[in-house]
Amino acid sequence: MRTPRSIDLEITGRCNLRCKYCSHFTSGGDVEDDLPTGEWLEFFEELRDCCVMEVCLQGGEPFVREDLKELIEGIARNRLRFSILTNGTLITDEMAAFLASTGRCNLIQVSIDGSMPITHDSFRGEGSFHRAADGLKLLLKHQLPAAVRVTIHRQNVRDLEEVSKLLLEDVGLPGFSTNSAGYFGLCRKNTQQVQLTVEERCLAMEALLKLTKKYQGRISAMAGPLAEARAWLDMEQARRKGLKSASDGGHLTSCGGPMTKLAVRADGVITPCAQLAGMELGRINRNALTEVWRNNEELNRFRNRSAIPLAFFDFCRDCEYVAFCRGGCPAVADSILGNAYHPSPDSCYKRFLEAGGVLPDEDLLATSQAYSNC
Amino acid sequence: MSKADRPIANPLSVLREEFDDWALLFDPDTGSVVGLNPVSVFIWKRLDGNHTQGEILTELQDHFERVPEEAEEHLMEFVQGLVERGFVGFEFQTK
Repeated sequence: MRTPRSIDLEITGRCNLRCKYCSHFTSGGDVEDDLPTGEWLEFFEELRDCCVMEVCLQGGEPFVREDLKELIEGIARNRLRFSILTNGTLITDEMAAFLASTGRCNLIQVSIDGSMPITHDSFRGEGSFHRAADGLKLLLKHQLPAAVRVTIHRQNVRDLEEVSKLLLEDVGLPGFSTNSAGYFGLCRKNTQQVQLTVEERCLAMEALLKLTKKYQGRISAMAGPLAEARAWLDMEQARRKGLKSASDGGHLTSCGGPMTKLAVRADGVITPCAQLAGMELGRINRNALTEVWRNNEELNRFRNRSAIPLAFFDFCRDCEYVAFCRGGCPAVADSILGNAYHPSPDSCYKRFLEAGGVLPDEDLLATSQAYSNC
Repeated sequence: MSKADRPIANPLSVLREEFDDWALLFDPDTGSVVGLNPVSVFIWKRLDGNHTQGEILTELQDHFERVPEEAEEHLMEFVQGLVERGFVGFEFQTK
């Protein structure tokens, strides 16, 4: 790929909330000041010249930027489409109308973590549930491509059925995605309070697989309990079939992100991923994007991470799943161990089993997998 | 549509060329994406309002080896498909 296809832009480090599992506010992505409008507008012109197709605006909270409209006009002017990741609490009717008027919006993802204030607000702050729900309604009113991400944690793990009912039946969304609170930023400080125990992880896996079956695949996941259940099922089945290895198994192949995209911090520093904020590759408007994309040594080393065999690590020694494992998220490995070139302990199936974890009924997994392949 | 018509690319369309001579054609207004093989890329670059489809066919036959007999039909279908998806319009000759 000559240039990245999409770029995640942290257009601000500011946020009106302080969610207890936010990946910022004690991370490498924390910066003093946001870039001025002009810097972003200049960068959008470079993105046009590089034929980048999409930018994903995130933060912090993108809607705190007073110049958001100007930025989005710059995006549209330069033949790009955009997505926004938001807590939803600052969306106004007028802003939703503006976003719809651009005709360039791929997705606006609102975080809703519960079916009621007590679960959502537990870690996001009082009043945030109703404000996020109001924001979502405004997006739907203006027929914007609204989506919801549910981050699963200790306070909402028993609310998943009601969350699904709220989003899929009452609100009528076509689907929603799930994740779980990852070991980043503020979550590192609040781990005991926030992150799922092994028992809760099992509970979430089973609940999500049942709900995926009930709602015919309308619940998705790239990470978190639902994605883990599916990945670990694959590993179990491959091993049971007597296969010697799984496709892409046995190496650090989990992350394909840097093959198609990059990220930019709120201070303009280019990184491979928003969650790998400490891996600095250059700075926008100082380093040519094509030069960084094609020739940056660290980025190319990171792309070649997929050539590193898991058998190389003491961590994976004597693991019977090693030939089926893909190593997990490098950013989580970096956050836990300070090393993005290591398997992620959080994604380790063997550790999950050793800690008493049990996968849900396999029939349930198979049904869910059929939907995930649709 | 005839061979004498001069197709012209929607100027908002973005052609993302890749290292292997394939490309993605992207319409930012609709989000529509079409994968183009090297022959399609060759044709796309001549949809400039100056070339008729007949002229593009001639250039195609000059540039590539073993161009099949059905190339004209394929060319017309390819252009028509892009017209239907909003990637291409026509500049008609006026008398």
